[in-house]
Amino acid sequence: MTCDAVTNAIPLYYYGELAPDVEEGVEEHLHACAGCRAELDRQKSLATALDQRQLEPPPDLLAECRHELVRAVYREHAPAVTHRHSDPWGLFREAFHSLWHPGIRFTRPAGAVALLALGFFAARFINFGQSGLSLAGTTPDAIVSSIRSVQPDSTGRVQIALDETHRRVISGRLDDQNIRRLLLAAAREPDNPGVRVESVELLKDHSASAEVRSALLEAVTHDANPGVRLKALEGLKSFAGDPAVRKTLAQVLLKDVNPGVRIQVIDLLIAHKDDATVSVLQTLVGKEDNSYVRMRCQNALRDMNASVGTF
Amino acid sequence: MLQDAAGAVSARAVAKVDEAAVIRAVQQGDQDAFEQLVRAYDQSVLRLAMNLLRSAEDARDVYQEAFLRVYRNIHTFRFDCSFHTWLYRIVTNICLDHLRKRKVRREEPSVVETADGPVDRMDSFEHEGAHADPERRMWNRQLGDRIAAALADLTARERMVFELRHYQGLRLRTIGDMLGTSEEAAKNCLFRATQKMRGVLGDLV
Repeated sequence: MTCDAVTNAIPLYYYGELAPDVEEGVEEHLHACAGCRAELDRQKSLATALDQRQLEPPPDLLAECRHELVRAVYREHAPAVTHRHSDPWGLFREAFHSLWHPGIRFTRPAGAVALLALGFFAARFINFGQSGLSLAGTTPDAIVSSIRSVQPDSTGRVQIALDETHRRVISGRLDDQNIRRLLLAAAREPDNPGVRVESVELLKDHSASAEVRSALLEAVTHDANPGVRLKALEGLKSFAGDPAVRKTLAQVLLKDVNPGVRIQVIDLLIAHKDDATVSVLQTLVGKEDNSYVRMRCQNALRDMNASVGTF
Repeated sequence: MLQDAAGAVSARAVAKVDEAAVIRAVQQGDQDAFEQLVRAYDQSVLRLAMNLLRSAEDARDVYQEAFLRVYRNIHTFRFDCSFHTWLYRIVTNICLDHLRKRKVRREEPSVVETADGPVDRMDSFEHEGAHADPERRMWNRQLGDRIAAALADLTARERMVFELRHYQGLRLRTIGDMLGTSEEAAKNCLFRATQKMRGVLGDLV
């Protein structure tokens, strides 16, 4: 090989990208030619200099990217899954939804932020002055304020409008009627899905009470947040054979927009096989647009020796 | 030795089977599996974008766009190439768009984000910091300056091939697959990129 040919081949030789026979020729030449060896040294120096230029992403960037990705993926589904929120609590609700949304584990940092915020938001959920509840066992707490508006006037003074909420902390056992009533109220708290999730989580182990079961059924049917609906479904597991519960579940299965909820309802319904379930599943197969839910549905029908098609 | 090699091949085969199962689960709407897939690749995607674009903000955009495209289009993945190649095809396309737009705007961010906070690109060779002697620091500064100029002089495609070969260690055949071109064309890109850089860096290396 000539010096020109070897010089041209050196970059690819350095990266090990030459054909074996050409590589062999280059090596033979380098062995005998000091000028070309110097060229190879220059190539190595260039590579070393470039190596120093490599950047590592800042440590927090990856975590931020993952978090943003989860939110972006969630937004992809948002119109079909749940209501869009344009109010200031929207981001909080989204974060909380993400926390409870099945399967997206790297949303936990967002959920943690939401949980930190929970203490603040929880203060809003009931007006003790009107509830008539005994305040025994309560402790007075801080005044929580939020600024609504700031208005300067012509005299150089400033008018600041702020909302104040007096926070009280009540503690008691779940079998305490007052605590139970508060939790049932909290399970219907319209502005705060976090509080609803927590309340339903606590109530779900007491579904033997008709009052609690009714609240769980209401949550499964009407709650806008799929995390709350899933929690309520957990609470209804032991009543999956109850005709009234099954009737509600069948309605939920055909109208709920969240595939995770529909899958859980299918699991509850097929635990007690009956003709009505077959009919509901057959109807669902015909209208289901999520391939995974449809597959679960078809498998359930096959297990029940029922036709997969609708009639 | 032979056993080690066989073990490594078998481990790779198992990993591939596992990955195929994960991809199939994602295709069926399993979001746990999607997370698993993202976590397997996202660090290297972010590093590639960061090094190519020299900007944390742009790297963040590329990350989001790339994995959202994966999420939206995973159902079209037919296992006729590796997932890695398919993903990098998406990532490199997005990065190339960024590089081309930047060429049109004639912009190159001068300040880049590093683990120690924002650092001017021109100072990126001063990691030896206070311990380096002034002459050495001056030389590093000049070298950094010239390398930035040399990289800016490359076409978007040359820059991409160089980045994937030099920093990511990918073979030119794979790079050709990712960029939708031949191994030979990738070789030419790498050769031209190296020649240009050696031309600009001249006596400094």
